[in-house]
Amino acid sequence: MNTIISTRGLTKTYGRVHALDGLDLEVEAGQVHGFLGPNGAGKSTTIRILLGLARKSGGTASVFGLEPWGDAVQIHRRVAYVPGDVSVWPNLSGGEAIDFLARLRGTKTKDAAYRAERERLMTAFQFDPRKKGRAYSKGNRQKVALIAAFAVPADLYILDEPTSGLDPLMEVVFRDEVQRLRRSGATVLLSSHILSEVELLCDRVSIIREGKIVESGTLSELRHLTRTEVSFEAASADALAGIPEAHDGTVEEGRARFTVDSDSIPSVLPVLAQRAVTGLRIEPPSLEELFLRHYGDDLAALRAAEEDSSDAGAGTRASRRAAAKGTR
Amino acid sequence: MFRSLLRQRLRRDWLQLLLWILATVLMAYSGFAGVAQSYATHKDRVEVLAAVMANPVIMMFRGLPSGASEGQFLSFEILPWLTMLAALMSTFLAVRHTRGDEEAGRTELLAATPAGRALPTVATIVHGLAANVVLGVLVAFALAGSKLPAAGSWLTGAVSATTGIAFLGIGLIAAQLMRTSRGANSLTVWILVGTFLINGIGNVAGTPSDDLTRISSSGLVWLSPFGWAEQARPFDTDDAWPALLGLGFGLVLAVGSVALQSLRDIGEGFIPARPGRVFARPALSSPHALVWRLTNGAIIGWAVGGALTGILATKLSGLAGQISGQNPAVQQILDKIGKAGNLEETVVSVFFTMMGILAACAAVQILARARQEEAHGTAEIVLAQPVGRVRWLLDYLLVATIAIAIIVAATMLAAFAGLAGNEDASALAKVVTVVGLGQGLAACVFTALTALAFVLLPRGTIAIAWALVMLATVFGLFGPLFGLPEWTTRFSPFAVTPIISDGTTDLRGTWWLVIIVAVVATASLSLMRRRELRPAA
Repeated sequence: MNTIISTRGLTKTYGRVHALDGLDLEVEAGQVHGFLGPNGAGKSTTIRILLGLARKSGGTASVFGLEPWGDAVQIHRRVAYVPGDVSVWPNLSGGEAIDFLARLRGTKTKDAAYRAERERLMTAFQFDPRKKGRAYSKGNRQKVALIAAFAVPADLYILDEPTSGLDPLMEVVFRDEVQRLRRSGATVLLSSHILSEVELLCDRVSIIREGKIVESGTLSELRHLTRTEVSFEAASADALAGIPEAHDGTVEEGRARFTVDSDSIPSVLPVLAQRAVTGLRIEPPSLEELFLRHYGDDLAALRAAEEDSSDAGAGTRASRRAAAKGTR
Repeated sequence: MFRSLLRQRLRRDWLQLLLWILATVLMAYSGFAGVAQSYATHKDRVEVLAAVMANPVIMMFRGLPSGASEGQFLSFEILPWLTMLAALMSTFLAVRHTRGDEEAGRTELLAATPAGRALPTVATIVHGLAANVVLGVLVAFALAGSKLPAAGSWLTGAVSATTGIAFLGIGLIAAQLMRTSRGANSLTVWILVGTFLINGIGNVAGTPSDDLTRISSSGLVWLSPFGWAEQARPFDTDDAWPALLGLGFGLVLAVGSVALQSLRDIGEGFIPARPGRVFARPALSSPHALVWRLTNGAIIGWAVGGALTGILATKLSGLAGQISGQNPAVQQILDKIGKAGNLEETVVSVFFTMMGILAACAAVQILARARQEEAHGTAEIVLAQPVGRVRWLLDYLLVATIAIAIIVAATMLAAFAGLAGNEDASALAKVVTVVGLGQGLAACVFTALTALAFVLLPRGTIAIAWALVMLATVFGLFGPLFGLPEWTTRFSPFAVTPIISDGTTDLRGTWWLVIIVAVVATASLSLMRRRELRPAA
């Protein structure tokens, strides 16, 4: 397959701060690639380097096989970008800003195709193009950038937390648009900290932590790295005895829970069937859990500091789950 | 809570206010030194005053003559400028902390706390009052320390402060009316210029005393805060009550602004916003079209200012020509600034120096816009399109240069129009052309220097650029008046442009200016190749 974005050992330092610390990112043509990490992990810095808005301190980066800093203009001809924090010109209307950005990308804004696409997007996003930039809320500024990005076809879409500020209805519209891009064969780099969004939209996911990619792969590849949770109704701890490859078994509030490697589910099922368990639930690991695999110890440390007590079970799945619930 | 609001204002402003106040105090101090040195004897001062009385247009840009003592003459020379600095400091302060904060969304954040809607505005009022009190006291110290009579010194300080307070009120009201800080600032600056001219016209229309050292102004001056300040006549009658007028006016407007604020929603103004266009005009299709779109309103304003300057330059030179024989003292003042040959040439040169400063301000404003776009985040969206960094900066340089050309052209055309009926029209037209183009070149120096500051020290761009214009103005236009040594004026681009002296052209530093513009502009563009985007955060 054709590599669109590739970085090797990419570093970026701001004074003594290492924003990127050897980042290896690989995005193939036609992928919708999720770029996951909390705020401050280095997502926006990476994107700015890929767009040639910031200069790398070390390592290599290429987009369409070109060098982002030197060949920025050539790259930009094929890229649509939605920044994380969209600002618009206070005295330009939204419609003017969208037309202006389209023209910078070489579009004839009188073309019927462009006009129709612009109209369709404005209707879908329920966007009023007449208002001046200063009157737009955060969500509306985001819509300016999204409509400007989607109205003109591009080979690569770089979207930096594109749904921040959008209401749930608009998030659905956004997802539909990304699906449309996927069908058209475009490549999308979608940076986000909203796990459900990435889980729904992305073929592959890279998780960034402290300026490094700590995990990268398709969702099903990543799922193999964690265990599936199985639970059923049970009264006593005896219920868990004799189940092969079960880990972290507990019985609480009338339910027995344990985890197994995702590959071993078939060997567990006959045992459960034999015991005729009721209320059986098998939950494959969500992206959230994959994510917390890498960030769980951060969370645990935070909570430990908060409660000023060391939680012995910090590494277990149950406690991670509790931690995740607590932070929601 | 109130104290922390006040502390936050001080913390944000202290450096800026310190510079404003120091500039005002320095002007008071060096103004006195200039008077003592250049017009040492009573006879010198009487002559100058008589000359000015004979020439109303000069008087518009000077203070109210109240007599020929050192103190009285100092008031005549600098009181309008002291009060003007205090007024500018105060209106910008008022708008910055009210509409500016509101536009940035900070007011909303505060209004949701127990501080409420009114308290931040009250804190701004107290902050502005305090800044003016400090300014007034320091001006008084500077003058009293120069061995001037204490009463007049304190009154000068007091009227500077009360004029500042009057404009604090005007700024606060403008911030309530307009929806943007840009709109509020331009409204107050127009009011400031308008009231300044009203006061000047009021003085010109007044009655001179028999010995030609004193003018009783016409009633018109009472319409202007600058008039209230001058009618206090420091070092003469030392009336305190006109100063109280400014104070009262400012306080009433301040209270009014708090009342107006309680009538409207946060983020809204009283002047409604017009809806924008659905589709962009065909012209808005390139980065430089955007720069033009963002700055053309301001450029037109500067060009109108230039045209006024131009018409004054030649009309006044005509008047000056008629009286030059009788009043050597006028010539003496103008010679100090213009260094040209005959009086008419000198008057034109002086006014075109003012145009050079206007054009430099316009250029700095446009280049500063590049930094504002970068800090605001809108530069990022443009630079993520197929637009090169160097080309992006070059567009700002080009628009700034075109703006200078427009301002110079407007000024020169108005000046040519003003020459109609003048006997020396053809000779003066040559002066207008040479001096006008030369000052345009001087303005280009500031375009290039601002670009360099933008590339090398992005965060300091705006402060550095305006500081350079201010220094060059002080050295180039006021330096000779205040008796600064001659070599210091050579650092000002405005003071080394070509002049015409009795029909012969002296190029002075023209080639130096050309070299500086070329080198600095090239350096900033080539350094831009390596510069990353530096947003505010």
